[in-house]
Amino acid sequence: MKLEIGNFYVKDIVFGDKTAYENGVLTINKEEALAVVKEDEHIIEADLVIVKPGDKVRLVPVKEAIEPRHRVGGGPVFPGVTGELMQSGNGRTLALKDCSVLVVGKHWGGFQDGLIDMSGEGAKYTYFSQLKNIVLVGDTDEEFEKHEQQKKNHALRWAGMRLAEYIGSCVAELEPEEIETYELEPITKRSKEINDLPSTVLVLQPQSQMEEMGYNDLVYGWDCNHMVPTFMHPNEVLDGAMISGSFMPCSSKWSTYDFQNYPMIKRLYKEHGKTINFLGVIMSNLNVALEQKERAAQFVAQIAKSLGADSAIVAEEGYGNPDADFIACIVALEDAGIKTVGLTNECTGRDGASQPLVTLDPKANAIVSCGNVSELIKLPPMETVIGELQALARDGLSGGWADDEILGPSVKEDGSIIMENNAMFCGDQVAGWSTKTMVEY
Amino acid sequence: MKKAILYLNQFFGQIGGEDVADYAPEIREGLVGPAMALDKALGDDVKVTHTIICGDNFMGSRKDEAVETILGFLNDLEFDIFFAGPAFRAGRYGAACGHICKAVKEKFGVPVITSMNDENPGVEMFSKEMYIFKGGKSAAAMRKDTKAMADFAKKLLNGEELLSAAEEGYYGRGIRHQKWLNPPVPATDRVIDMLLKKINGEEFVSELPIPELDLVPIASAIKDLSKAKIALATTGGIVPVDNPDRIQSASATRWGKYNISNLDHLPGGVYKTIHAGFDPAAADANPDVIVPLDALRTYEKEGRIGSVHDYFYTTVGTGTTQGEAARMGREMVEDMKSAGVDAVILTST
Amino acid sequence: MANLIPVAKTVGSNRMVPTISIPYPLGDPNTSKEQQWKLRYHRVGVALDALETDIKEQTVFKVKI
Repeated sequence: MKLEIGNFYVKDIVFGDKTAYENGVLTINKEEALAVVKEDEHIIEADLVIVKPGDKVRLVPVKEAIEPRHRVGGGPVFPGVTGELMQSGNGRTLALKDCSVLVVGKHWGGFQDGLIDMSGEGAKYTYFSQLKNIVLVGDTDEEFEKHEQQKKNHALRWAGMRLAEYIGSCVAELEPEEIETYELEPITKRSKEINDLPSTVLVLQPQSQMEEMGYNDLVYGWDCNHMVPTFMHPNEVLDGAMISGSFMPCSSKWSTYDFQNYPMIKRLYKEHGKTINFLGVIMSNLNVALEQKERAAQFVAQIAKSLGADSAIVAEEGYGNPDADFIACIVALEDAGIKTVGLTNECTGRDGASQPLVTLDPKANAIVSCGNVSELIKLPPMETVIGELQALARDGLSGGWADDEILGPSVKEDGSIIMENNAMFCGDQVAGWSTKTMVEY
Repeated sequence: MKKAILYLNQFFGQIGGEDVADYAPEIREGLVGPAMALDKALGDDVKVTHTIICGDNFMGSRKDEAVETILGFLNDLEFDIFFAGPAFRAGRYGAACGHICKAVKEKFGVPVITSMNDENPGVEMFSKEMYIFKGGKSAAAMRKDTKAMADFAKKLLNGEELLSAAEEGYYGRGIRHQKWLNPPVPATDRVIDMLLKKINGEEFVSELPIPELDLVPIASAIKDLSKAKIALATTGGIVPVDNPDRIQSASATRWGKYNISNLDHLPGGVYKTIHAGFDPAAADANPDVIVPLDALRTYEKEGRIGSVHDYFYTTVGTGTTQGEAARMGREMVEDMKSAGVDAVILTST
Repeated sequence: MANLIPVAKTVGSNRMVPTISIPYPLGDPNTSKEQQWKLRYHRVGVALDALETDIKEQTVFKVKI
């Protein structure tokens, strides 16, 4: 499989008459873009706002981030989700870099939604403060979940994907400024030099714990709860086969943008042929019953072993009971003789004194850790809020609260906030961006 | 000017050796023995105002009295920080430093710092509760160990950024916080580095060292269940539908107990789950799937157990830290014990 | 009584009885009311047995249904 990602580096975004990209400037026809958003009649209110790094803007409740893209030769950017099912990971896809479509609820948030500060002290907590963002802020008539803590956010998330495709299509006829090529020979057809290197698989555990459909990450439109681990080409992940779900405290989540740019995959490509032989991705999942967790671990270890993997990296999208899937998977791989490194975050409590993962095993002796979900964060008021600040306190965001005996509510009268890292939008960046670690004091 | 006080044993306090190890606690204004080096290392902004001396055996055999006397000395004094030792490898001295530091920290809320060699049993006893610097084997390391304590104390008192336990040189306290790496090394690079080392059989350092298992003493079996009072408890967030105690749906810090003395089971619509970590449909429809009151009530009627306790206990497990969970558990147990509960069935989700 | 026995073990539980899942530990809504009751009655019974049993180490008690 050979994937070419053709990059266009967006230096500025403005609204204008025609949606177009020229000399680094992305112009968006707002009316036309909003029409795409409103193709779904469930969207009852929508607006677009452009925010850039350094802007005095706070976004909350943020539901999703997507990189605007276009698939050359036709076909949806997200096969099986925004259009017909087709093979991704082969051919050419165009990408608008350094920007994302952010989807924000105009009023209502939920457990899985997060917060982004584009400047100030809060900016360092999320990756998306470094990007120029086209913010879709909207409301829907999904009354059934308006007051539910768990929201599928279906209409808004899908509107975000349509918008990303619409914006991406403006470069359809243009020659990219740079082409990244991702190509792996079939495993049995690799050169001796590559075969002599230690081989590595990347095991991904995307969020899939909800038994009701509509909340979990999707693989080609298929609910990850309804699968057993399977072998995938890394290009598929980079090219729209995976989309983010709407469940799990936000700092632990992987957005669709994270999947499209999955840093750990790109890093393994860099090492491929030099220090390791990158075999591919084993797409696993996260479950809610012990037997399911053990079954998934068993499948992963078997696939890795059958592929002849010498080593593995396991990355987990979540914390709490998913730690049991994470540790079970590492233990199964180690038991199969495969040297494994884990990639995750921790929950050590506001005081840092709690057990870092709910399950531990001495075989998990190599872990890279990207943060503490329950770290307490205080931030001053922000000039502009996009969305609704009260959502952080009112709607059960995983890192916010309506009231607390000692700390008071998450949202103060002057607009300053106190929250747990839990509600920072994809803040722990376990996909690999994270420059955070955990240290003992 | 900040003020410090130092604790020493009879030997370093220049009273004498083993023969005077029963020496009763004493406080002296000014500097005795190692206090001079400490005072000097602390520089101009921090002054050691008093030295406390206590025999190791006195502290060892009459601990409560010793601690009480010393806390009494400190009551009328102003001080910003408290030191003890360094104790090197001296076991009794190490334990004494730990005991007095712990008591001072609890009573006065000031930072406490001591220093011990890694073979000193005081390390294992107290490293989770205070800063214990990694010290030398013997008094030959006095200057170095004293300076390490003093340097850290200055950072602490000046509000400077504190590095990790390993970087600062004290034994880790089991407190883990996030930190941005400087220079910023992304997780991807750290993974590759660790993976290659692991593959090549080289040494590597996990960013999450696996702590030892937390074993709990085993409760003895109940001899006659037919006379026992059994309580139900859950982390599955089952509450009366209006959630009267406002237990949080995630990262809970509150728990509740609700009277079930006249119920044979928990009816849906009257009870529900507020747990945000799973699909609530099944538990809302039938809360007994999480709190099995119906089954336990049947066993009560059959005489298998003496009685079901009048209340069930509940909180939410998702995102709830182990620390908070342990506290809530202790509080529940206290309440159960006062009501004569013999055993608990805890259902978790 | 827990589904995630590894978690229960890690935090130091001594007497453990497995349940069937996280959202519904003691009664699968996809089965009949009667089956759910049988399972619940059985497993709570195993928990009572566990309370009567002397153990020397962390023990997972076996269930039949």
